[in-house]
Amino acid sequence: MAAPVSPSPPVSPSPAATADLAATPRRHLPPVARALLGGLVVAAPVVLIGILILAFAPGYQVRVAYAGFVNLILVVALQVFMGNSNIGSFGHSAFVGLGAYGVAILATPLAAKKLSIPNAPFGLADIALDPTLAAILALAVVFVVAVVSGLVICRLAGIAASIVTLSFLIIVHGAFIHYTDLFKGAQAFFGIPTVVGLPGAIAAAVAVIVVARLFKDSAAGVQLRASADDILAARAFAVDVRRLRFVAWVISALIAASAGILYAYFMGTVIARAFYFQQVFLTLAMLIMGGMRTVSGAVVGTAILTIGLELIRSLENGPTILGVQLPEMLGLSGLTLGAVIVLGMALKPNGIMGRLELDEILARWLARPGAR
Amino acid sequence: MDYLVQQIVNALAFGAEYALLALGLALVFSIMGLVNFAHGEIIAIAGYAVFFAVGLGLGSPIAAVLVAVAMGPIVAVAFERVAFRPVRNAPPTTGLLTAFGVSIVVQNLLTLFVSPRPRAVSVFGPLNQTVFVGPYAISSLQVIELAVTLVAIAGLVVFLNRSLLGLAIRAAARDFATVRLMGIRANRVIATAFALSGLLAGIVTVFMLARRGSVEPDFGAAPVIKAFVACVLGGFGSLAGAAVGGLMLGILDVAILVALPQKYGGLRDAITFLIVGGVLVWRPQGLLGRTVELGDKEI
Amino acid sequence: MLVVEGLTVRYGPIVAVRAASIRIAAGEMVALIGPNGAGKTSLIGGVMGLVGATGRVAFDGRDVARLSTEDRVRLGMTVTPEGRRVFAGLTVGENLRLGAAIRADRRGVADDTERYLTMFPVLKERLGQLAGTLSGGEQQMLAIARSLMSRPRLLILDEPSLGLAPRIVARIFAHVAELKATGLTLLVVEQNIMQALAVADRAYMIASGEIRHEGPAAALRADPHLVDMYIGG
Repeated sequence: MAAPVSPSPPVSPSPAATADLAATPRRHLPPVARALLGGLVVAAPVVLIGILILAFAPGYQVRVAYAGFVNLILVVALQVFMGNSNIGSFGHSAFVGLGAYGVAILATPLAAKKLSIPNAPFGLADIALDPTLAAILALAVVFVVAVVSGLVICRLAGIAASIVTLSFLIIVHGAFIHYTDLFKGAQAFFGIPTVVGLPGAIAAAVAVIVVARLFKDSAAGVQLRASADDILAARAFAVDVRRLRFVAWVISALIAASAGILYAYFMGTVIARAFYFQQVFLTLAMLIMGGMRTVSGAVVGTAILTIGLELIRSLENGPTILGVQLPEMLGLSGLTLGAVIVLGMALKPNGIMGRLELDEILARWLARPGAR
Repeated sequence: MDYLVQQIVNALAFGAEYALLALGLALVFSIMGLVNFAHGEIIAIAGYAVFFAVGLGLGSPIAAVLVAVAMGPIVAVAFERVAFRPVRNAPPTTGLLTAFGVSIVVQNLLTLFVSPRPRAVSVFGPLNQTVFVGPYAISSLQVIELAVTLVAIAGLVVFLNRSLLGLAIRAAARDFATVRLMGIRANRVIATAFALSGLLAGIVTVFMLARRGSVEPDFGAAPVIKAFVACVLGGFGSLAGAAVGGLMLGILDVAILVALPQKYGGLRDAITFLIVGGVLVWRPQGLLGRTVELGDKEI
Repeated sequence: MLVVEGLTVRYGPIVAVRAASIRIAAGEMVALIGPNGAGKTSLIGGVMGLVGATGRVAFDGRDVARLSTEDRVRLGMTVTPEGRRVFAGLTVGENLRLGAAIRADRRGVADDTERYLTMFPVLKERLGQLAGTLSGGEQQMLAIARSLMSRPRLLILDEPSLGLAPRIVARIFAHVAELKATGLTLLVVEQNIMQALAVADRAYMIASGEIRHEGPAAALRADPHLVDMYIGG
């Protein structure tokens, strides 16, 4: 039995605990397996909620849940970049849009496509690919964009980088709105094959959570977090901070693009407005509420705000409560999001989950003295 | 030739506006490391203040100017006291996100309690007339903008170089702790920087109202994003960099407007940002930014 | 003038200063000597309110433990920080002006400026120069002059000899002796024990966060076991 060599919480190594693998599995697993297991533990509640919704929820709520899963994937993407590099990003919604438009352009059947973008360049109006192939190609394009943008962004100091991610968002959105031949401008691009349902979204969410955990606990992830805290010390250890940020940027971009692809393949329609500031506010608020430092934070924040906002949105439309007609209150949901961000930063900057992942909390709880 | 002169004045006027905004941002960032995303909301609130003042019977443009220019510092200092002080010593990302949150809250409050639709403000109409400088016809508003900006920047320079608080702000940009050792209260220094930043924002509010004739909840958002990019272009944290960056961005903006064929007009912002991105590839620290090697002793 | 009792400074779980007590009477010059990492600067930090500390700190009989750093400075406690910390982007003259920030008497400030420029002629030469371009020794003199501009009742010098050549250090301490002769109360924190003990009245020795020894400077200097105490830390 190898000696415990992990950064897990200090546990008194009494013979009983050491001998009992089942009680503290993590101390004997190599980091990759530990991260994998951890990712699955974090994903478990997500799967559970998904199954409950599939089993019991009416159609409308399935749509809300699907949107929630798409947001979850985007928030996880944000966590991969922001949580590890400590740099705020406003640009990931651009990747969501690129993924969504990518499959919209490639996979929409010819008849519908001719109605949307008859003058598409490169003969794109005349091809309609199989959805899986379209998704892969879209991801390839996003990869290229991520590499190019990453090369610029990752050389900049933290704040400057954040501002440039904002410019990036505006640039991409501008392309969506004004390159009408390819993107259909500000109008809805419809007719995309609806080939994915909630089960697909759940599976994707699980996959993405595991990937995020694997990155976080990988050498690259650990080094990146360390360098975010003390860049000079990290460089003294030959850690190339720029390269690590770049890797985080590209991985998170691909995850964000997957969210867009899933969105397109469920809704059947995409519109540029959906990938702009509203989405940025929402997903940032979710990440901040749950806690930037952990993947679990992304999950928790998304869950709470998805449910909370549904409730608030019903208030926004001026519902009748106990026979009293409330006025329309546009802006209430935006107000809530803003308040979440401000209060979160002032009171609990590390969010609800703080620094520990769900599985780490579980491990500590299981290993507490007297537990066995 | 007329067109050329008009566009040059146009470029300078936009450059002046961005420079004032960028200076406001740089003042706050240089002493606290705070990226004040809520700067645009200072402008919006000042704009709505003018709207309400006019609604209450205020007729003269001069009085309206005073309202805007007074509201700017008040709102800025209020933001600092309420939202930014709790996160004063937090890492920069926290401050940035807080400011972002404040921005969202304010915009939505304005939407909720005033209106999501634009409200007309025409009190500055008289400022916007055609005047003749020599044989060339240009907008009086732009001439006024340029003049006011020059005066404002000169005033700022004098303040930062002659007054005690100005010196303190400059010193605090590099070493806040030692400024406190001089017995100068940190809150005073920070409030002053915010007030100055609000004052500059108030001036820009007047320009924007004069140009657009209306105010709406996201009034300040777009110009402030440009101002941020101007700061990054000029060298983040440097006041001179902010001014230069603002001017350059204004010139770039108008140059692209002129060069771009009509149908691509909407891509203006995107192309401007792309060009800035290109500059940053060549010079990541910005035009006037210093490359500070980590671990360098102070010069 | 200054009474510190049971001062403890903690950085998280690390105790940098443990129940330290020192006293300084008006007009005295006291040296606080100790090796690197002994807790000297943390102690000063606690006295000035720059770092959180528990224990009693009284200045002129008044309890200052609850006051902010700025308020303590306004009472007359001034620190010339370790590493000098002149305002590099400002000129010598502007640095001095900031030093006098808490004073309202312009005449007095002008007189003092003239006095210290005479005391440190090199500063007069470089009045319009950026402080960051001065040499180490010149910066030290500027830092001291800047502290003096606030008309302190107690001047704390934190490692004035740090990073300076011996010849310059001797000059600095000559100035310190000059200041003492004017009746200024001084606390000098130093690793360079010989220079500090040569000018001080009394000395405290600190090691590993604790005050280990106290006594008249002359006695300490003549003590053959000094080195043991110092290194034995």
